[in-house]
Amino acid sequence: MKKRVISAVLTAAMLTGSLMGSTMTVQAEESGVTIDFWHSMGGVNGQAMDYLVNKFNEENEYGITVNAQYQGEYDDTINKLKSAQIGNMGADLVQIYDIGTRFMIDSGWIVPMQELIDKAGYDVSQIEPNIAAYYSIDNQLYSMPFNSSTPILYYNKDMFAAAGVENVPASFNEIAEVADALTTEGGAGEAISLGIYGWFFEQLLCKQGLAYVDNGNGREGAATKVVFDENGGALNILNAWKELYDAGYAPNVGRGGDSGLADFSAGKSAMTLGSTASLKQILEDVNGKFEVGTAYFPSVSSENQGGVSIGGASLWALNNEDEAKQDATWKFVEFLVSPESQAYWNAQTGYFPITTAAHEEPVFQENIAQYPQFQTAIDQLHDSAPEYAGALMSVFPEARQIVETNIENMLNGVSSPEDAVAAMAEQINTSIEDYNLLNS
Amino acid sequence: MKTLKEKTGPYLYLVPCLLIFGIFLFYPFFKTIYLSLFKTNKMGQAKLFVGLGNYIDLLKSPSFYNSLSVTVIFVVIVVVGSMLIGLVGAVLCNKAFPGIRIFSTAYALPMAIASSSAAMIFKIILHPSVGIMNKILGVSINWVSDPRYALVCVAVLTAWLNSGINFLYFSAGLGNIDESIYERASVDGASSVQQFFSLTLPGLSPIMFYTLVVNIIQAFQSFGQVKILTQGGPGESTNLMVYSIYRDAFFNYRFGSAAAQSVVLFLIVMVLTLVMFKLEKKGVKY
Repeated sequence: MKKRVISAVLTAAMLTGSLMGSTMTVQAEESGVTIDFWHSMGGVNGQAMDYLVNKFNEENEYGITVNAQYQGEYDDTINKLKSAQIGNMGADLVQIYDIGTRFMIDSGWIVPMQELIDKAGYDVSQIEPNIAAYYSIDNQLYSMPFNSSTPILYYNKDMFAAAGVENVPASFNEIAEVADALTTEGGAGEAISLGIYGWFFEQLLCKQGLAYVDNGNGREGAATKVVFDENGGALNILNAWKELYDAGYAPNVGRGGDSGLADFSAGKSAMTLGSTASLKQILEDVNGKFEVGTAYFPSVSSENQGGVSIGGASLWALNNEDEAKQDATWKFVEFLVSPESQAYWNAQTGYFPITTAAHEEPVFQENIAQYPQFQTAIDQLHDSAPEYAGALMSVFPEARQIVETNIENMLNGVSSPEDAVAAMAEQINTSIEDYNLLNS
Repeated sequence: MKTLKEKTGPYLYLVPCLLIFGIFLFYPFFKTIYLSLFKTNKMGQAKLFVGLGNYIDLLKSPSFYNSLSVTVIFVVIVVVGSMLIGLVGAVLCNKAFPGIRIFSTAYALPMAIASSSAAMIFKIILHPSVGIMNKILGVSINWVSDPRYALVCVAVLTAWLNSGINFLYFSAGLGNIDESIYERASVDGASSVQQFFSLTLPGLSPIMFYTLVVNIIQAFQSFGQVKILTQGGPGESTNLMVYSIYRDAFFNYRFGSAAAQSVVLFLIVMVLTLVMFKLEKKGVKY
């Protein structure tokens, strides 16, 4: 008898559940628009993204449903988009990494974000100017910055104290000056774990205030060749890097943005370079074993006057010739860049809040009180200037790989810094030429 | 006199199979050859006909010769290593003793491990500062970032991964050898070493040949380990052909060059297979 009651109750619950489910879908179909959103946020960042999407789906009063799909890493997303656009099956809104910017502008698949902004009368000055600068060409904001980061120097405060080093190095030669003290009295296994990462190379050019490619660093028109060989910027970087390596201060810890982090978190290296977005991860890995300090990203030599540019990704509206969807896309973008969402996003992920107003949000203020190291990143961004926004180039993903391979060859003694620069320039130039020839 | 229906009937049964082959094998194959004659635009569409230009570029490129030689070294290490591990394991597990199942499972297990997840684990094992390899050996070697070790690391990992299936094949092969010939040999006074070389190895030769062919083809197609452990680096020291094809096609969107490399890879594997089938007639006793 008891069993029968239970089963009856369960059946009833299931029935109501399915009925409710079906009425809900009907409502969504009747009153609103569904947009597809492709992103590359996995792990903790992915959870934060899902939270924001769900919040929007529940709270928006226009009946818009956002269908968010994780598409793998940045490279995967842009490559899937390329394939999907052949069949015109892409998304309505897609998150693309910084170095895909020029490609997206040239692709002809997008609606410049500026058009949506103008239509909605959104005030662009709310966005951090140094972040907006990266995604703006001719004062047109092509995509909406969403998750932005800059690279910073992480250092082990305990080691610095033990070594009696008071000033945190601001350049590669200052790193060399304090390196011996850090490895002897400081007890570090190596002064700095410096991962071979193309982004660092680009940042070191920005710090020198030098361009990567011609045509105004690829911002006035499509780049036709690299200029880092002619302006000497690349050679400065490689020479300084090799000096640190030859002296044993910066051993080869491998390729990629995260390759230097493990040594630092394990207490082996006294310093490392990494994205601001890695701060949470580093603090978690270090777990109180030592005090983590943050400082500005170092320049090549102490005389350099440039700034840092941003990395991360932005949101691109795709042109699907459907006005209703476009309006819905904008509503969603507006929600994502609202101070409230950005403060939440910053606290969960460590990316910058891209709107200045987010600094007023309590969520943001609690976060910065808990992680004062994050202030360095914000100061560094504010100290930079829009002219150091960095290069744009359609073949950037490939160029970055070429740069990394040649730095690796140089460190491994296969080539001299001069040869490495020449090889980089030649290989990148070939691929730029090919690209321009085939896609004009 | 057969009716039309009887004549066409058998072909109709073949249609589904041919259709699947056509879509998933023949069409991509011919499309690859077609693409290898073009340069492609950013969408991967054939844009500019260059004839054999992609092949000429390849033959002039030092990076292509590098990936050829890296691939050959890799294949040799992998094939020799994986067959040796598989054979030794199978011979050891051929005797019945307590706990044999545990050992058999252990030797066959690599078969069940995906190459990518194994590579992830090896990435941690080989890590220069936190990895267990350096701790055990008491050295400080950056295994996957040093061009002297990177290729060997990837190859040894692959050899171990491929050894599982070889163990299985060899175990089956050993089971097929008649026990009575060993008895007769021991009556004649043959030592166990003599027995191994005169009885076991010849008895295994058909299965050995099959595993050799499969292993070589498999080794040429290794991808996941390289992608995760080294991304073809340091420099280009682990830039195997399949990885180089992947990079060119899906990263640089140069399908023309990637297609040309694929065709070259196809030719190499085909020639190797043909040569091996010729040799089979001499070395393999059924």
